[in-house]
Amino acid sequence: MRAERRSGSLMAAPYAAFLLIFAAYPILFALVLVFLKWDLVTTPVFAGADNMRMLATDTRFWRAVANTFVFLSIHLPLQVASALMLALALNRPLAFRSFWRAAFFLPVVISGAVVAILWSNLYATDVGLINGVLVRIGLRPVPWLTDPSTAMPAIAAMVTWKNVGFYVIIYLAGLQYIPRSCKEAIEIEGASTWQRFRFLTLPLLLPQTILVVTLSTINGFQLFIEPYVMTGGGPLRRTYSIVLYLYTNAFAYQKMGYAATIGVALALIIGSVVFIQRRVIGNAEAL
Amino acid sequence: MPSVHFEHVSKRFGATTVVEDFNLDVAEGELLVLVGGSGSGKTTILRMLAGLEEVTEGRIRIDDRDVTALAPRDRDVAMVFQDYGLYPHMTVRENLSLGLRLRKVARTEIERRVTWAADMLQLEPLLDRKPKQLSGGQQQRVAMGRAMVREPLVFLFDEPLSNLDAGLRAQMRIEIGGLQRRLKTTTVYVTHDQVEAMTLGDRIVVLADGRIQQVGRPIDLYRAPVNRFVAGFVGTPPMNFVEGRITGENGGAQFNADGMRFDMLPGRMPTTMPSGPVTLGIRPEDMEVDPQSDGPRNGSVAGRVVLVERLGGTSHVHFDAGPNRMLASVTNERLPAVGDAIDVRINGERAHLFVDDQRVSSAS
Amino acid sequence: MRTLRRIGLYTGLAIAALTFIYPFLWMASATFKPLSEVGTLALFPTHATLDNYKTMWARAPFGRALINSLLVATTITIAVLVFGSITAYAMARLRFKGRPALNAATMGVLLVPGQLTLIPLYTLIVQLGWIDTYAALIIPYLFNATAILMMRQFFLQIPQSLIDSARMDGMGELRILFTIFWPLSKPVLSIVAIFTFMGSWNEVLWPLLVVREQHLMTLPQLLTVFSLGGGAGSIGVSLASAMVLVVPVVIAYAFLQRNFIESMAGSGVKG
Repeated sequence: MRAERRSGSLMAAPYAAFLLIFAAYPILFALVLVFLKWDLVTTPVFAGADNMRMLATDTRFWRAVANTFVFLSIHLPLQVASALMLALALNRPLAFRSFWRAAFFLPVVISGAVVAILWSNLYATDVGLINGVLVRIGLRPVPWLTDPSTAMPAIAAMVTWKNVGFYVIIYLAGLQYIPRSCKEAIEIEGASTWQRFRFLTLPLLLPQTILVVTLSTINGFQLFIEPYVMTGGGPLRRTYSIVLYLYTNAFAYQKMGYAATIGVALALIIGSVVFIQRRVIGNAEAL
Repeated sequence: MPSVHFEHVSKRFGATTVVEDFNLDVAEGELLVLVGGSGSGKTTILRMLAGLEEVTEGRIRIDDRDVTALAPRDRDVAMVFQDYGLYPHMTVRENLSLGLRLRKVARTEIERRVTWAADMLQLEPLLDRKPKQLSGGQQQRVAMGRAMVREPLVFLFDEPLSNLDAGLRAQMRIEIGGLQRRLKTTTVYVTHDQVEAMTLGDRIVVLADGRIQQVGRPIDLYRAPVNRFVAGFVGTPPMNFVEGRITGENGGAQFNADGMRFDMLPGRMPTTMPSGPVTLGIRPEDMEVDPQSDGPRNGSVAGRVVLVERLGGTSHVHFDAGPNRMLASVTNERLPAVGDAIDVRINGERAHLFVDDQRVSSAS
Repeated sequence: MRTLRRIGLYTGLAIAALTFIYPFLWMASATFKPLSEVGTLALFPTHATLDNYKTMWARAPFGRALINSLLVATTITIAVLVFGSITAYAMARLRFKGRPALNAATMGVLLVPGQLTLIPLYTLIVQLGWIDTYAALIIPYLFNATAILMMRQFFLQIPQSLIDSARMDGMGELRILFTIFWPLSKPVLSIVAIFTFMGSWNEVLWPLLVVREQHLMTLPQLLTVFSLGGGAGSIGVSLASAMVLVVPVVIAYAFLQRNFIESMAGSGVKG
């Protein structure tokens, strides 16, 4: 209908305009900024490939990338294992099931800033709750956030703790779709609990596992508020994240071109890592 | 009561033509049924009249008013949908009155019309329920009530009965027919069910591929279908078709097919004898089955029974006559058994002859 | 054997649940403890005090930040629901030129990580002169592609005959959306409302970029700046300021726990 077309266009026009201004323009301008040197005050200067060259040899940037991989190497296995375990525990007839689910989900709804502040206190070397428990049972306190070797693992554990409830929900949804007949069939085959998990549950949850890995990878690359609040990127820059570096370049150094270059590089890294992960996990299933 | 006129109406979606040069006049107070298979364009025509679908070419008038470009709300028509389209979050009363409230009809008048419609459709006890709490038949009545309270110029029905089970469908069909005769509102009714069309329609429009095949009273379509499509579409069980040729002269012309010979009645033949292939059409109820075969006689066909379906009053006898599988509908007490050789007498008065799918002889 | 396993399961669950809840309980209790007691494991302070709250309230404009956060999150949530549903309705139920392109663009936007557009958006805000304004906090969030796609998906399942009936009853498209579609779309609308509100309520990075004046800061931002800048001075005060952010959320969560879980999970899976 003419009227339908007219109302359709009218109703969609504000969103189309919004997309142009707040999505299309920033994406294109990001690619322009890569070639600019700009402090937001003076006029932008064309910088050719300077930003890219600088990025390629910027040890701080690559330090941040390496940190992120350290983070992921701890966070991903921990996240998948803990989410899967809790989901399996919840996926049986339980008393107070919704209470348990709500408890695990609680940190998900709490602001990352709050969680970071809370955990910097829990991790505190002298007065922190965790070291308090360690001392109580006769162990030596650990300088969690001030020792270069434990700072990133400590943050990775905390992020796992914060997000696990979210991934439990994803796994629980997947578990609902495993047909009862499959479970009964494998039980009749005489499979042990472990075998049932290994040959039925785990393979059938592959789509959820891929989703969990993808989402926590993307999330891990976007790490910002935790090091910002807890460590400021230290000690010895061991918790410096890519986004924190991007933020510092934009906010502290006013290097818009370089910050945008980091953003573009980050997007490319996320894209290729997720792509490779999906390939690898997908192939693992084919074996 | 107003009349409705379609003038050279066409509808295209991109390159596909759904309705082609549609011309039709619906008379005042008439119940006109549009019938056809899926893709025939019947629903599109109805939706164009409702204003829910744009007319690509042509004009639609209600009386003298050109409504082609008007929005649905300005056309003063009301429609009953296949899945009823009742607002699930509103009570029956709210469903009935919403259209009037939006048209700023006075509260007392709304009250009067809702009561009137509820009374006619026996909806009073249901007025404060939500659609989900109603049976299919009750929802159907609410949908009709919603159309009635509007007191529109034209009622539109889009396959209103196809979501009901068979028993309820027959009952609602009678109710709709009775209601329309009482209200005398001009009505356009779309269905794919030819039984519904035959029993309800003052006139029927048979559609195929977006074109009108035939317009006429139910009995006209049944007695004198203009082409093979209409002949096959109207009537249950459907007409039998046998491919063959005509031999002989006008005085003593014969229809010849593999395993079948049949004398055409004098005076029932077109003036020019068809020389190419022709199709003979015979309705199942225009054949008589003789359970004992006395050998071929004039106007009868020899067949072998392959299946007998007993429906109680009438029975369907499926038989092979040469390569043709045919069906006769009989009321005899004495039925042949499967495998029997039978003679089937054809009522020549009622046989139809088609050339290039167009009917050339009339049986009336 | 069976009961033993059940006992094991419940014990395990209880310990797990405790690790998720206890830190928050500890945090809540720590805010009522005098400085000398904060380091202890005890859940109940021996000398309960409100000093931490008084200090926190006096040192930074947390009341103002609470109002800012409420204002920003509420405005964005209403906008995402109203504008988003209008857009989703058009994209789901109206045929118009450019609809396929708009659908594709919306899917595409979801694939672009936020960090790519962060800096260009920031420079745009600077050039528009929106630094230190509510506009910077609100306008870039007025539409949300995830929300639009979720609502569109829901709207696609509503029968066409309802739209047709409503049009014949004389309704315009906006009226159909708000009087027919909205009441039928409560599940998706509440999901979108919760995740939009929570997303805005908890956002830190964007406010950190575009707002520098204390009286315009949102709660999580002020909290971060306050704790980092040493304004808090002590753990108790810093945790007390975090409580301002946590308490409203926990109260809402206690009542709408199921909706919260569905909506946060839903937004993540779709986005």
